[in-house]
Amino acid sequence: MLKCTFCGRRAAYNRRYAGVLLCDRCLIKSVEKRFRRAIAKYKLLLPGERIAVAVSGGKDSVVAMHLLVEHCKLKNCELVAITIDEGIKGYRDQSMAIVRENAKSLGIEHFVVSFKRIFGATLDQMARRARARKTELNPCTYCGVMRRSLLNQAARELEADKLVTAHNLDDEVQAIMLNYVRADFSRLHRLGPAYSPREGFVPRIKPLREIPEKEVALYALLRGLKVHLAVCPYVGGIHTEIRDFLNQLEANHPNSKFMILRMFDRLKPQLAGIVPEFEMRRCKSCGEPTSAIICKSCELLKGLGLRRLRKTLNSPKSR
Amino acid sequence: MTYIKVTVKQVGNKHKREFRLGPHATIADLLKELGHNRETIVVRCNGKIVVEEERLADGDLIEILPIVTGG
Ligand code: SF4
Ligand SMILES: [Zn+2]
Ligand SMILES: [Zn+2]
Repeated sequence: MLKCTFCGRRAAYNRRYAGVLLCDRCLIKSVEKRFRRAIAKYKLLLPGERIAVAVSGGKDSVVAMHLLVEHCKLKNCELVAITIDEGIKGYRDQSMAIVRENAKSLGIEHFVVSFKRIFGATLDQMARRARARKTELNPCTYCGVMRRSLLNQAARELEADKLVTAHNLDDEVQAIMLNYVRADFSRLHRLGPAYSPREGFVPRIKPLREIPEKEVALYALLRGLKVHLAVCPYVGGIHTEIRDFLNQLEANHPNSKFMILRMFDRLKPQLAGIVPEFEMRRCKSCGEPTSAIICKSCELLKGLGLRRLRKTLNSPKSR
Repeated sequence: MTYIKVTVKQVGNKHKREFRLGPHATIADLLKELGHNRETIVVRCNGKIVVEEERLADGDLIEILPIVTGG
């Protein structure tokens, strides 16, 4: 039996990048400590703030929700949860039940905003339209752009000071690599523990950014949290290839993910002068902030022959 | 005994499979054989989450939980 480096109990995790073995208790403590440290180090949250957390029901967002509840008790913050229901049959419908259960047991107000209600079509319907129209865009493009926009809008309408997303180390490093591969300079530049506020946007923060995906999963499992462990039917393409490549790299060379993150964080301040500043205006069609005449969501909808049905979410309370 | 026998279950899949391994085999050896990357799974041995460097024993029940989920 292999023992925890710190307390001698049976080890549950080999943290190879640090050369230590951790038992269940020490792993849980360590994850909680890293979460608090990220908040303090990057000043992600201030006492008394109203926090909105984006929750899908997957392990990352459920863990974020549980950690935030503790934080809010100590720092006198208010917490609300937002779920975007994209309308992915057999996937989001299942995870929604899990979010509701967690929100209820934690006593958090929970709001749901659905694609169907706002855009008049579910993601499944959009995917079918995209195929029929041969737009050559995959469902993730619609999903990502529209979900981000609705999350921001919901957080803004709920008067949140911050919007928490549950991106872990793996998510962040994958995003760094993806933006390298696509040479997407402006997206790359927006990555980081916090996305600086601009008018019309609720600042987005990522307190799990320095916790590896496997440690988030272990935290959820060891604490016995109710999480949705399923894979979206649309996942695939280059995202998956980059994820697999990074996992291979980490398995063969522990600490690679952290090194990529640290290098990016050191380079990022140097990028500030190079990225063109866009003037923010309001989308002609829906009024949401954008740097173009119409926002990306409206542009994508137009390409599908759809249009936004509602401008405001009108207190999108969960039913 | 010249080899040990373990049962492997993939969570979310009803199939159980039996594996024969050398007497000093670890979970990491088994994962290699199965083509799993340790970054993407959690392993339970007889119901307990364990590290991949643990030695296997004859009759162990190994459960493999995929953790890379979502979208
Ligand atoms: S895999 Fe694509 S479609 Fe599925 S939830 Fe993620 S971004 Fe949306
Ligand atoms: Zn310990
Ligand atoms: Zn718009």
